[in-house]
Amino acid sequence: MPQCIVVTSGKGGVGKTTTSANLGCGLALAGYRVAMIDGDIGLRNLDLILGLENRIVYDLVQVIEGECKLKQALIRDKRVEGLYLLPAAQTRDKNAVKPDDMKRLIGELKETFDFVIVDCPAGIEQGFKNSIVGADRAIIVTTPEVSAIRDADRIVGLVEAHELPEPELIINRYRGGMVARGDMMNKDDILEILAIPLIGMVPDHEDVIISANKGQPAVFDEASVVGAAYRRITQRVLGEDVPMPNFDRQDEIGFLATMKRWMGLAAREAV
Amino acid sequence: MSLFDRIERLMGAQPKSKNDAKQRLKLVLLHDQCDISPKRLEEMREEIVAVMQKYVEIDREAIDFKLHKENGKIALVSTVGVNRVNSRQVA
Repeated sequence: MPQCIVVTSGKGGVGKTTTSANLGCGLALAGYRVAMIDGDIGLRNLDLILGLENRIVYDLVQVIEGECKLKQALIRDKRVEGLYLLPAAQTRDKNAVKPDDMKRLIGELKETFDFVIVDCPAGIEQGFKNSIVGADRAIIVTTPEVSAIRDADRIVGLVEAHELPEPELIINRYRGGMVARGDMMNKDDILEILAIPLIGMVPDHEDVIISANKGQPAVFDEASVVGAAYRRITQRVLGEDVPMPNFDRQDEIGFLATMKRWMGLAAREAV
Repeated sequence: MSLFDRIERLMGAQPKSKNDAKQRLKLVLLHDQCDISPKRLEEMREEIVAVMQKYVEIDREAIDFKLHKENGKIALVSTVGVNRVNSRQVA
């Protein structure tokens, strides 16, 4: 059955767009037909992360206002079969779209696609409401930082208020070295606070920036640890039981590691 | 705490900051969820203490007044130190 997944977080800059792009590409690589919607009207970025920014002709607002057909606005990603992007408008504001419009649009997309991925904007206002209204399932992205977790908790409440099933959590930018030193909340600390099921963890790694620079999501890169993390997330989204690797680096704990850090011998956070 | 942790601490290492993060988060989320500000909670505390003082002499240094969350339910848990029970009932 077709499914619409909204990727949300509350706080900005935690990796919603990167997650949406990688999940969308991951699902397409697994053989599904996927439509990705950039829900961030006025501040679109999913096109850039996917490397499709030069191919935009029409956008979501134009589809809703009837200026073009849905099919015309969908950009086909040539890297993988069955992957499409519906870009956001860049010069309009988010009030140009109403929740009912989004619901109708997503319903239409679900007739031809297996998955519709909505990249939700930051915040809890109109853009959030538009993004969540057509969703069957919500994925919340957070980082191990107090501000991101607080906002994620707020989103958990709002998702439940929209009568969606319990949202699933992705912990992004996890730094094993800091966790090992006790300077970053670990997986269990975060799950204790947010109390929703974990669907994936992504290490804080330079691959994320490099793949954004290129417009090529890490999930395409077989050698990337970030890509591997997103491939596992994709499998879990599809219902497979994939074990969570341990990102907590034990080698950085203890007296010797501290001495090394002081002397500048240890790598400053390679992961 | 392992021996190495002790040595690290003796040598001036900072206590683990993640514990601060967790504690502060838990508290702020409780306040967010009950929609009560720390200031309002403080006002409530003062008012309750004022009522109690009519009956007992309170050790103001020993008041613990916190919101707790257990099994998804929020509870107000308080421990109040009492120096002396006022023997005469106040009208």
